[in-house]
Amino acid sequence: MAKLRNFVPSTLFYYITLTAYTIISIYPFLWMVSSALKPNREVLRNKSLIPNEIMFNVFVDTWNQLDFFKYFVNSAVISIAVVIGIIIVYSMAGYGFAKTSFWGRDLFFTAFLGLLLVPGVTVLIPLMQLLRALGLIGPDATQLSTYTGLVIPMINGAGPFAIFFFRNFYNSLPGELRDAARVDGCSEWGIYLRIYLPLSAPVIATVGILNFIGSWNGFVWPSLVINNSDWFTLPLKLRDLDLQAVIQWNVRMAGSLITIVPVIVLFIVLQRYYIRGLTAGATKG
Amino acid sequence: MTQTQIKSDSVYGSAPLGVKPRKSVAQILKNNSGFLFILPALLIFLIFGLYTVIYSFALSFFRWNGFGVFTILPPACEAPACAFVGLRNFQEFLYSNPTQSQFFWRSFQNNIIIAVFVTIGTIMIALPLAMALNRAVRGQSLYRTLMLLPMVTAGIAVYYAWSFIYQPIGVLNSILETIGLGALQAKQGWLGQPNTALLALMIVMIWGAVPSAMILYLAGLQTIERELYEAAIIDGASAWHLLWRITWPLLRPITVIIVITSLNRALQEYEMVYLMTNGSPAGHTEVVGLQIFNYGFGDQRQLGMASAMSWMLFALAFIVALINMRFFRSKEE
Repeated sequence: MAKLRNFVPSTLFYYITLTAYTIISIYPFLWMVSSALKPNREVLRNKSLIPNEIMFNVFVDTWNQLDFFKYFVNSAVISIAVVIGIIIVYSMAGYGFAKTSFWGRDLFFTAFLGLLLVPGVTVLIPLMQLLRALGLIGPDATQLSTYTGLVIPMINGAGPFAIFFFRNFYNSLPGELRDAARVDGCSEWGIYLRIYLPLSAPVIATVGILNFIGSWNGFVWPSLVINNSDWFTLPLKLRDLDLQAVIQWNVRMAGSLITIVPVIVLFIVLQRYYIRGLTAGATKG
Repeated sequence: MTQTQIKSDSVYGSAPLGVKPRKSVAQILKNNSGFLFILPALLIFLIFGLYTVIYSFALSFFRWNGFGVFTILPPACEAPACAFVGLRNFQEFLYSNPTQSQFFWRSFQNNIIIAVFVTIGTIMIALPLAMALNRAVRGQSLYRTLMLLPMVTAGIAVYYAWSFIYQPIGVLNSILETIGLGALQAKQGWLGQPNTALLALMIVMIWGAVPSAMILYLAGLQTIERELYEAAIIDGASAWHLLWRITWPLLRPITVIIVITSLNRALQEYEMVYLMTNGSPAGHTEVVGLQIFNYGFGDQRQLGMASAMSWMLFALAFIVALINMRFFRSKEE
């Protein structure tokens, strides 16, 4: 053991490497915080991360006058709807694929996974035509119908991974669980709802956090579907700031922080599940 | 339903009676009741997945500017806005239309450059970091959390933060000035100059891709037995040997996954490019995905062309997936 320690580069070297890259990794965020606290004329002139005078009113103004609270709520509603939809639809499907048998089961499973290969940009045009044909978007659309049209394809896009996670998890649970419940007179639906679904809390957390962050950060798809600026999500509103004649760097950065902080907090709390989702499958071989 | 009807409907109709036990309809329904669990997922898949994929495939053989109607259920395509052109879309962007094909191949070249450099850059940064993180017992979770932040940040916020660094009077230029490398400054901003734009874009992509690769490598490193290294050291192996003979080969499956993911991302990349440069300056950062997006939703809409190009991407993604499968099969054998 002592020999190994002498052999490899010293621990100090590792810490220097880690610290150096950590700075690179959070450097853009540091500028975000710093610029959001400066008056706009100072942002470009002062090359120091530490503001001359700290102004919190940029945040307050962005939140109040630019209605960031409204877009925050819009983003939250959409992301929560996507996550709930995904968990309901694909925990059921995962159970169906793992624990029941029916005609064409493997065929359907392969078809679902096949969806993974299709580049996202391929189906954007057909999806827009479909939503228009269904009357979900267009001049007469309401916020509810627009969000419905926005959310369902997002749920579908998450399908392959979510089914994969739930199915693998249910497969790993012992079959005796099901037999015992059956003997006690539980229906198939009851077995899923009362026994398997509650047991899958870790998978729900993994699938939930991955997709919450994905849909909160989503830009292209919402920008195509949402055509009313009152219904914008945070990223769309942020992009809108980019189109203004005078660039207000401090407002941009404050808006960016409002957009990313909820996700960062959530990520820190549920990090374990996020990483599990990332590494699942990769380390099993 | 009566017994006789079931008999005549049965697929075993010609088989001698009693050879295969007949099942009643109720029994068949009961045996297949698990189907109900996948029914919601299947309905969404059929309408928003399969239908749209078929639609896009069909559309790639048509010329359509987006006005009027193009549907496949029932088949409808209204002239003059829409016309069947066979393989012409594919021919035009691949070779027959000089302007279009030149633009396509230049974009595709950028995709290849991104695929190569972002993949290599990501691995070369992520692996040493993962090795350091694996050793850093104290403060490991703090370092890890901070280094993962780029992964969960919205693209538009990433764009604002980096464009602040990259702009003409931005942080990067003033750092270069300070350390006496003022000659290297990009006077029109790092994203604005033809010779630096793609590089600047790829740096942001690597910055965003390092966290997930690092986490995968870290997970891989944690499965390698410490005894392996100790035994090798007793046998007189150098630190270089440890890396090339133990760590790197044992991490090969992880590297394969990272490479495949990175290649796919490079092929399909367009969101970050769209946000940061939209192909500018003068097409120097144009990628195929962005062209598809602009044919589909830009000013000059050619929806058939967009679909044809996206099927080209699909074919390439499919090839990458096949290579991936071969890799894993050869590992198992």
